[in-house]
Amino acid sequence: MSSPAERTLCVWCPDWPVTVARRGDPTLVDQPVAVVERGAHGLVVRAASGDARREGVRRGLRRREAEACCPGLAVLEADPAAEARAFETVARVVEAVTPGLVLERPGVLTFPTRGPARYFGGDEGLCRRVDAALAEADLVVARIGIADGTFGAQLAARRAARGAALVVPPGATPAFLGDWPVEVLDDADELPLLLSRLGLPRLGAFAALPSAAVLARFGPAGARAHRRARGLDEHPARPVPVPPELVETCELDPPATRVDEAAFAAKGLADRLFDRLAALGLTCIQVVVEAETEHGERLARRWRHEHALTPGALATRVRWQLDGWLTGDGGTGEEDDATAGITLVRLRPDQVVPATGRQLGFWGGDAAAGDRADRALVRLQAVAGPGSVVTVAPCGGRLPSERVRWVPWGEARDDPAGPEAPSWPGAVPGPPPARVYEPRLAVSLLGADGEPVTVSGRGEASAAPARLVGDALGDAEVVAWGGPWPQDVRWWDRVCRRRGSLWHVVARTPATDVACLVVVEAGQAGIEAIYD
Amino acid sequence: MALATLPSRDPAARARLVEVHGRTRPLVLARARTLTVPGPLRPLLPELVRGSVVVVDGAAGTGATTAALSLCAAATAAGEWAAVIDLDGTLGGEAGAAAGVALERFAVARRVPPDRWATAVAVLLDGVSVVMAEVPRHARAGDAHRLVARARERGTVLVPLAGPRNPWPATATTRVHVEGGPWPGLDTGSGLLADRTPTVRVVAGTRERVGVLAG
Repeated sequence: MSSPAERTLCVWCPDWPVTVARRGDPTLVDQPVAVVERGAHGLVVRAASGDARREGVRRGLRRREAEACCPGLAVLEADPAAEARAFETVARVVEAVTPGLVLERPGVLTFPTRGPARYFGGDEGLCRRVDAALAEADLVVARIGIADGTFGAQLAARRAARGAALVVPPGATPAFLGDWPVEVLDDADELPLLLSRLGLPRLGAFAALPSAAVLARFGPAGARAHRRARGLDEHPARPVPVPPELVETCELDPPATRVDEAAFAAKGLADRLFDRLAALGLTCIQVVVEAETEHGERLARRWRHEHALTPGALATRVRWQLDGWLTGDGGTGEEDDATAGITLVRLRPDQVVPATGRQLGFWGGDAAAGDRADRALVRLQAVAGPGSVVTVAPCGGRLPSERVRWVPWGEARDDPAGPEAPSWPGAVPGPPPARVYEPRLAVSLLGADGEPVTVSGRGEASAAPARLVGDALGDAEVVAWGGPWPQDVRWWDRVCRRRGSLWHVVARTPATDVACLVVVEAGQAGIEAIYD
Repeated sequence: MALATLPSRDPAARARLVEVHGRTRPLVLARARTLTVPGPLRPLLPELVRGSVVVVDGAAGTGATTAALSLCAAATAAGEWAAVIDLDGTLGGEAGAAAGVALERFAVARRVPPDRWATAVAVLLDGVSVVMAEVPRHARAGDAHRLVARARERGTVLVPLAGPRNPWPATATTRVHVEGGPWPGLDTGSGLLADRTPTVRVVAGTRERVGVLAG
């Protein structure tokens, strides 16, 4: 029989993405704002400001529907790194009250109240103390809730009024949870949708079902949601005491001054940690990330994720934590920010539970191949450098070098929606070339008289090209050519303006006829691409 | 069984022996060990056998890179991964898409230092199904032989991209010589570049097939 969940306090900043966006851009304060993120079917709203919500914009709405509800809506893309950086100020304020805080995601933090409540004279006193600390730091938007368990505390914070915390008495949490609709379970597997279709619109009805039946019908994910709905701890077993040798440390020498380097090292650590945990049949739900700089400053944060943490998610959180610290954007004053490079990153699993495993695809197929390739590419990054291993993300552009973006492995690529990208006006016609040279190969495009071919301002060539001379192809005779296609890039910008012309040139070398794309800019010709 | 040392005067006995040899060979479904090559190279090179080495040979501008990319497309079309080692960072990403490669299962290692080339190819051979590697100048024969053995062991197709100045110093199951051809479509001052039809010679063991790739 499991014990009831421990009393937790939750500090929730509603619509934190919107608050951060408004802080970054003061002109948005008067406008309704919605922050969108990429979902399964395009952009969906993740957070909306109060005035946008009054017009009918809700979380989960598609972007077009939101814009239709509320004309004049300012739509911004979510920036999790900036939100995490800004949330660091809230974390520091609450850290002054208690050291044991746990960060769920930017906007929500929780901590167990047993120690601090006794120190500050009960739950009410603790709420007043936290409220005062937040008010001092000018963070009046935060709401506070206390209940049994983190799920109950988060819901209590949602129902709390501004300035007054909501305290659910001990043992009354299941009754408190019973009223809420199942959508608050916020499960990735569409469990709430299924439950409402089965006729269980409230958490109370869901909680009344026998737990064995829920496990049989919905699997381990459903059983976890059931425990949350009943107000119990999410994981039935007591957290397994962590073997002390499971700490992963990485010393960076020379110290990392850029977040990328430290985050890359942390990714390797996260992979190793999770491999070792998996070998023991465990997975961790809470991790303490410690970082230390050359000057001895330390930052330790406890991170928790609703579902089990994955190495990628953990690496992202480390990046958020270090980002705020290194760039000094925290805002609360310079004495807490890092003044030197990071020399040590340590990952310590805080709460580990037995792993229920991950269901692989039935035929092994795509997921297994993807995992193998991922491991090989990460190892290759260690051999050749993190920026060398890239994937191709096509984007629009005129020249072949502008039409692709090289996305380093491990970073998200946004694949363009739709099977065919629309054509880009001004793009070079013809098949895409297989070799693209950046910087261009220097050549001379000469006419029959031996003089370089120039293009006038009206786009007329001075002579027909007859020879292409350069290191790449030697002295080659031009057999066929096309163009010139004049290009005037950024004509409105006096500094960045570039004028040139494009030529398609087929040159005869001893081996074969080579077709290349030659760009003549400011009197200098260069091979931009070869159609290999 | 050394069939060649049998007396050739008894054709009946020899025929019986060949039949028994055929029946006792371990049976592995050929389908599972090959990748179908899509695109214009298919009539000349219909399949890639896993674990083999297919050298694509051609000077710059002959169309060798595009031919090698269509071999990578063989892997991505089957749902598996392909990777390219691009020594000087000059591969055009869009050409990969035009050759039929699914870009979400395609990785490129750009600007690999020449002394790390063999290690990089070895790491990729463990993880993906087709590795296209540009051969650096003065590649060591020992490294190349080790890579051939590793490819055979892991069942990965290795496609070294060689040229007249950077030949592949080890053995190869198949050699694809791309010889280029004229470029249609462009005239003096007018017209647009159309797809070309290069001449390709595929040599596999003692068989040789010459053809022209359709545009």
